[in-house]
Amino acid sequence: MHALSALLARCNAERRSLAIVGGDTLRAMLLPPATESVLLSTASLARIVEHCAADLTVAVQAGVTVRALAQTLGAAKQFVPLDAPHADRATVGGTLAAGWLGPRRHRYGRPRDLVIGSVAVLADGTIAAAGGMVVKNVAGYDMSRLYAGSFGTLAVLAQINLKTLPLPQRQRAFLARLPEGTRERAAAALAALAAPPAAAFWIDGFQSAVDGDEGDDGRLVVLIDASDAALERSTLDLRSALGRAGVPETRIVDAGAREAFERTVDACVATLGERSITYRLPEGDVPPPRNAVAALELARAHALRGEAIVDVMNGDAFVRVSDLDARALGTKIEAFDDALHAREPHARVVAGEHPIRNDLAVFGAPPPAIAQMRALKARFDPHAILNRGRFVGGI
Amino acid sequence: MLQQRLIDALGADAVKTSPEDMSVYAFDAYSQGRNPSAVVLPADVRDVSAAVKIARECREPIVARGAGTGLCGGAVPIEGGVVIAFARMHRLLELDVRRRRARVQPGLINLDLSRAVAEMRLFYAPDPSSQKASTIGGNIATNAGGPHCLSYGTTVNHVLGLEIVDENGEVFTTSIDDAGYDLTAALVGSEGTLGIVTAAWVRLMRLPESVRVWVVAFGEIEAASEAVSAIVAAGIVPSALEMMDAVITAAVEEAFHAGYPTDAAAVLLIESAGLEDDMNAYEAAIKHIVEAHGAISWRSARTQAERDALWAGRKGAAGATGRISPNYYTQDVCVPRSKLPAALRAVEEAAGAHRLVVGNVFHAGDGNLHPLLMYDRRDARQVAAVIETGNAILQSAIDLGGTISGEHGIGYEKRDAMTRVYSTDDLATMARVRDVFDPQRVLNPEKIFPRGARCPEVKPPTLVQ
Ligand SMILES: Cc1cc2nc3c(=O)[nH]c(=O)nc-3n(C[C@H](O)[C@H](O)[C@H](O)COP(=O)(O)OP(=O)(O)OC[C@H]3O[C@@H](n4cnc5c(N)ncnc54)[C@H](O)[C@@H]3O)c2cc1C
Repeated sequence: MHALSALLARCNAERRSLAIVGGDTLRAMLLPPATESVLLSTASLARIVEHCAADLTVAVQAGVTVRALAQTLGAAKQFVPLDAPHADRATVGGTLAAGWLGPRRHRYGRPRDLVIGSVAVLADGTIAAAGGMVVKNVAGYDMSRLYAGSFGTLAVLAQINLKTLPLPQRQRAFLARLPEGTRERAAAALAALAAPPAAAFWIDGFQSAVDGDEGDDGRLVVLIDASDAALERSTLDLRSALGRAGVPETRIVDAGAREAFERTVDACVATLGERSITYRLPEGDVPPPRNAVAALELARAHALRGEAIVDVMNGDAFVRVSDLDARALGTKIEAFDDALHAREPHARVVAGEHPIRNDLAVFGAPPPAIAQMRALKARFDPHAILNRGRFVGGI
Repeated sequence: MLQQRLIDALGADAVKTSPEDMSVYAFDAYSQGRNPSAVVLPADVRDVSAAVKIARECREPIVARGAGTGLCGGAVPIEGGVVIAFARMHRLLELDVRRRRARVQPGLINLDLSRAVAEMRLFYAPDPSSQKASTIGGNIATNAGGPHCLSYGTTVNHVLGLEIVDENGEVFTTSIDDAGYDLTAALVGSEGTLGIVTAAWVRLMRLPESVRVWVVAFGEIEAASEAVSAIVAAGIVPSALEMMDAVITAAVEEAFHAGYPTDAAAVLLIESAGLEDDMNAYEAAIKHIVEAHGAISWRSARTQAERDALWAGRKGAAGATGRISPNYYTQDVCVPRSKLPAALRAVEEAAGAHRLVVGNVFHAGDGNLHPLLMYDRRDARQVAAVIETGNAILQSAIDLGGTISGEHGIGYEKRDAMTRVYSTDDLATMARVRDVFDPQRVLNPEKIFPRGARCPEVKPPTLVQ
């Protein structure tokens, strides 16, 4: 941490811009770094500082991977629902900095909702702590949440303290085909359950990436987090609700439920090299997923292949558009990007390789409080050394 | 001049200028400050904006005010200035049942929101014990907690977007859907020092299918606190886990006949909410732990009426205390949950050393203590003892790895104690945020940040009740 502070102070003095990297899994959510940037990896900040199992809290350095944290906590039957793609590489710091939301947030909260403290290193090398290791704390501003979602443009997150949760006793996944005409009803049925699933995805496309054979139909992947006592009732409720919605058959996966869920999360940012761009559409109606259906139609209208993963419980969606020919994508994508943003001003790019991505409205519509955001950036990082020009509105 | 301009802009009925009228706004539930120069009661965001502009031109500080139930002097005009009170902006503006969200004015009373959406089987989760009086705006400004924040999180987890009037009287909005920085989260809990909340989008939750409430009695307070730590350590997170000691249950029973045993040293009020199928297992697991820790009685509330009575008693505990002591001071600290027994021992020792009666009623599951120190403000010795005891409790929480406020806020009361938990660099970093939103320090000055380089001491409770 002190080495990091010294490094930042030096770069700041030399006005040298830094590109900050965690596991490099959500890189595409930002614009590419300026060519003269020095790469700053948080990989060496890989220590789990303190797991206070009896307090249900944990402090980790930013470079700890999501998987490593899950393993440590799992040994004590606890977890933090970060649910970031590529958990083996994704870091806890990167997940928070990128503002990843997680498909189980309707149940457990967003990753940032579980943050109780942090240590950040500012551009000038200042080491600043906020919060602590207690689960309620209103002493001063909530700096940790300000850093969450800031993509490292205000400060480098060095340590994060989190509330942990008791691990559910059982996890069960359900796979089903979702023929045309059943989707909206299935989504509505899931949202209305007394025991809502921990996560539910309606998937159109992504053949190789996600479980289940679909033919032309979409697929449904549902995850239940339950106690021993509630598992059977939850299963029964879910199956009969889906049955009433016209879903032909639901297959239960017990061994490997977690993996089926993780493969779907990974697919949210799966790319086809330079041949695809993936957008996240903001939370729309819960249910049904009309926003995704409209985006798929739009893709067709632009002669692009469209695929979608709809987060049924939260109402947001990941939409991948692609073309077999990278150059063809390059010529069509800008028009699609304009059309999509006309419909969905808050749509954001989450995956895709250079160079095509760079000309798109990666962050969607500029936020109304952009002036305040620019002022914050200027106050925290006056020489713009942290991820210069990679964030919204040129920040 | 100031008063006349405010009257011209907002109308005479929206501005209070007589010293008697204004004196009500010099208080919160903790302390008293100076009379403000004027009090305005805006009807809408335009009024707020106009009032801020006029105050700025007249070089007056601006203090936003909800219901004034704050316990740290947050809404008190220390330097006078213009108080903007939200009593007239109390409407539920929009309700989106499908997406479970509501847009509200800041003066809407917390409980009124849950009541308004109950028939849709929804509720607003943050439930400070003051919810019958405190406002959503005040709750947002303090990031208020409450018994049910154990499982649902504090106010910040339930705010989706804000409309803010800034220090120049300009309006801006934030939303958690926006790209860029999470300004919503930065503004929640900022105690009126970064902007004035004029509307908020908040999240609503579905009422649970099943709710059970249990009252568990213990012969010793130590055993009760160890039971709480053990419940948490076992990975059980009930929807609420509250504790009251004998001083409090006696006062509550006298005032409300809520149904608490009065022969116990401490009681736990435990609530589980969720699926009916889970309830028996929860009950068995919790019962097992509390019995292992020497619980002397266990009672399940059988009916909704019994549950409501127990909760009304719990949430009325502070009021009940007002009936047994001429004055009391509420401390608010939070410690890691395994440290609860040690923290309670420290409270007992500190109060004992100063011969004060203390009542404990608090959010035990979160490790969030609220010792109520009873005193008579006409007795200088007792006042001094309260200050010293409050200070000692604060220090013991810090020594146990805790913090100086779990939910009531820093306000005026604890500003100087900030240096005990944060370094100069930590505080300077927070001040950078203030520099952006309130560079002239006109929004609720004298709050949160410590005075210059003064020795950190908790300020005396300047007498309430
Ligand atoms: C009996 C009792 C029980 C309590 N129980 C709890 C509890 O369980 N949990 C808890 O967290 N607190 C509790 N409190 C403390 C208090 O009720 C909370 O802090 C509450 O959130 C304050 O709301 P209010 O409307 O009274 O705000 P006020 O006291 O009027 O103001 C509080 C702060 O918010 C600012 N503010 C108010 N409105 C706005 C606005 N629109 N824009 C910007 N800033 C604004 C003020 O400037 C001030 O700094 C309790 C208090 C009492 C007296």
